[in-house]
Amino acid sequence: MNNIDGSDRHLKTEEAPPPSLLTIVLDTNPHAWAHLSSTLSLSAALANILIFINAHLASGNTNEVAVIASHSHKTSYLYPTKTPSQPTRNGDTNGDVEMNGNGTGRSHQESPNKYRPFAVVESTILQNFAKLLNETNESHLAATPTTLIGGALSLALTYISKSTLQHAPVTSGTENSMAALADAENVHVDRVALTSRILIVSVSGDLANQYIPVMNSIFAAQRKKIPIDILKLAGDTVLLQQASDATGGVYMKPERPEGLLQYLMMAFLPDATARASLVIPSAGGVDFRAACFCHRKVVDVGFVCSVCLSIFCEPNLPDNLCLTCGSYLSLRAALTNPPALIPKKKKKKRKAGTDTATPGGSTPAGSSTPVHP
Amino acid sequence: MSAPSSSQALEYLQGLPLQTHRRLYEAPATVLAVFRCMLPHLAKTLVMAMLYMPASFPESQLNAWFKPGATREKSHALFVLAQLHILDTTREDDGKRTHSLSPGFKRSLRHALEGSGRDGSFGVSATAEESRGERRVSVEYLDEYAKAQWETILFYMVGGAAGVDVKSEIGAGTKKLLHTGDLVRTFHGQPRITKEGFTFVLQETNAQVWNLLIVYLRMVNDLGMNETDVLSFLFMLGSLELGQAYSTSTLTATQLQMLDDLSAMGIVFRSTKDARVFYPTRLATTLTSESGGLNTSGSSNSSSTSSASQGFIIIETNYRLYAYTNSLIQIAIISLFCKLQHRFPNLISGKLTKESVHKAVSQGITSSQIISYLTTYAHPQMQKNKTFIPPTVMDQIRLWEYEGERVETENGYLMREFSTQAEYKDVKKYAEECGVLKWSSDEKRMFFISHVEQVSAYLKSKKGPR
Repeated sequence: MNNIDGSDRHLKTEEAPPPSLLTIVLDTNPHAWAHLSSTLSLSAALANILIFINAHLASGNTNEVAVIASHSHKTSYLYPTKTPSQPTRNGDTNGDVEMNGNGTGRSHQESPNKYRPFAVVESTILQNFAKLLNETNESHLAATPTTLIGGALSLALTYISKSTLQHAPVTSGTENSMAALADAENVHVDRVALTSRILIVSVSGDLANQYIPVMNSIFAAQRKKIPIDILKLAGDTVLLQQASDATGGVYMKPERPEGLLQYLMMAFLPDATARASLVIPSAGGVDFRAACFCHRKVVDVGFVCSVCLSIFCEPNLPDNLCLTCGSYLSLRAALTNPPALIPKKKKKKRKAGTDTATPGGSTPAGSSTPVHP
Repeated sequence: MSAPSSSQALEYLQGLPLQTHRRLYEAPATVLAVFRCMLPHLAKTLVMAMLYMPASFPESQLNAWFKPGATREKSHALFVLAQLHILDTTREDDGKRTHSLSPGFKRSLRHALEGSGRDGSFGVSATAEESRGERRVSVEYLDEYAKAQWETILFYMVGGAAGVDVKSEIGAGTKKLLHTGDLVRTFHGQPRITKEGFTFVLQETNAQVWNLLIVYLRMVNDLGMNETDVLSFLFMLGSLELGQAYSTSTLTATQLQMLDDLSAMGIVFRSTKDARVFYPTRLATTLTSESGGLNTSGSSNSSSTSSASQGFIIIETNYRLYAYTNSLIQIAIISLFCKLQHRFPNLISGKLTKESVHKAVSQGITSSQIISYLTTYAHPQMQKNKTFIPPTVMDQIRLWEYEGERVETENGYLMREFSTQAEYKDVKKYAEECGVLKWSSDEKRMFFISHVEQVSAYLKSKKGPR
């Protein structure tokens, strides 16, 4: 009888976890991969990542994935890609609806051993990746030894933002509620909020020259509560460590890059729902050093503009103006007084009444409120 | 939302013996479907973490991986994995327990993810030569076909009780299936729906399909069919592509026999009895995904997305009910527990009264069934409320039912005669973590659980080390 009582008016509990969008930023910097080729080649890494993507898609029926390549001269989507005049398919939820990315869906050989949604994602990624590599020529490689991680990050954030909007639950619109009442077919009530995360598979070091864009992306991600996971296969950057630390993501720098798949499966596959009950690996000590705005060098001690908080590594600014905000900033004064660590004077045990210079401090313990002259 | 519709399938799978599981896990498609649809979320994470692990996973490390507050979730995940025989737990020489995936499951899941299998378990597309002479079948046509077939079955069930005189003809095999599953009984030559039948009708389409298929699975041994073959084929159907023709050449004799039965239900489509290709319909391809198959309330709008549940029922706190539907089946179902008053081209209106609910209860429908039906098909406007149905209505339906019956029964096991209070406490706590504890009495030192396997294994393992 008890459960007639109002306490049992439970809502249907949503047991299924919310759909999860995994955005992978793959660092495809040819210089770094060439350096790493003895232990883990790029093709092997890509094969491992494809399996990881399949595992992610299999983990939830509504899970989605996006892959962005951060190359040496440009960043581009590997999946999903725009395919004009492609009929969208209704039954398939494992993918973006508008940018379905199965331009090759019908043409490629159907394998009876492969789950179709997996095959579609894989072939698209491989095709776009091959296209990206073919477009790269020597002048691109000679221009820079590093990768455009800042651009890729912001691309990932914009994609996530767009997908989140598409998945947002319908708000109770009052303007045409009567239309919605009669037209139940066109109202999508089953949309659940999307949880997103970014995984950066990074191989390049020395990203300090992109300090500002990367830092801005990190703060944007922090604000949107998007964890940035870092898998650091080679090189070391202060920046990415900070990214995972600030956004609450996973940071891993594997000792043995050849075991990439196991690292991915164990540490990076759990989504937000699973992470609630798991202990996730993170960077032990985070290097919080910043890069200066003038030469993009990582500095231990620098100079900070008092107006816009820009960081500079040396005091010789042109015209004594801040490079970022243009306000007057004379750092010479700071130079004449080099910041030095002054050893703290050993506090002597003060005897009550001996130090009369500071009236407040001279109050003997237990006395009443000091009376100021 | 995937949980409710496939939970019966999970229950059925959990009841299967080890040998059947072993044979089932030979096919990558089956393993993938089980992984995607049956496992709790944390169990998926566990499986994936262990999939490419070179050695087995020591229990101490597993415990370290979980946060201290998550023991309940962990136990539940391990419980399901152990029941499905996915996880093997062995004791090392030094007394430590280690977990590993069962080899067959591991191999097949790897094949599924890598696409490296050799057995074509994801369906062999029909070759050009095989599909010659077959007309191309559009997705819309398949949807229509599936809908028509499935609604005929539902009509056959509700027709008699609702007083709607519809002489719908369904195949002898399907009829037998419905009778075997005790969804329908024959009174005076007329099919009469049973309590189980009502539960069935009130579910979402996807859950209905699974329900019927499970009845089918229970029957297959009598028909001399191979249970494993049947299950593998069902899971394969779930991973096929809608609108694509598939070859029948690689199917076993059992599976060919199944094709006939399934096409009668509208789950697959074949143009003729001995066609060499078959088309899975939406009922089949959504078997292992959460979006419900067909939209029964919808009008001719077949191109609309097959979103999980199209709500169309509005209930007011004065017990008035409005349903935006023109589907005869839905009207028939609603009329089972509601006094209908008006009918318009796209709308019916009625009132929930004490008499109408009593009538439903006397026919074997329970209040929770009515409420779950109303909740499932609640109109989007209603779904914005905290509880979809007004609380007063919900309570009143329950009260009306409780006027008649007051006892619910559940099968399970009573655990008693614990020697010490500590032992009792410990085992009870474990049972609670597994989510099988139903009732307990600390004074009498006994408790009641719904499933005994995991708890008895726990008791054994406790005895072991001492």
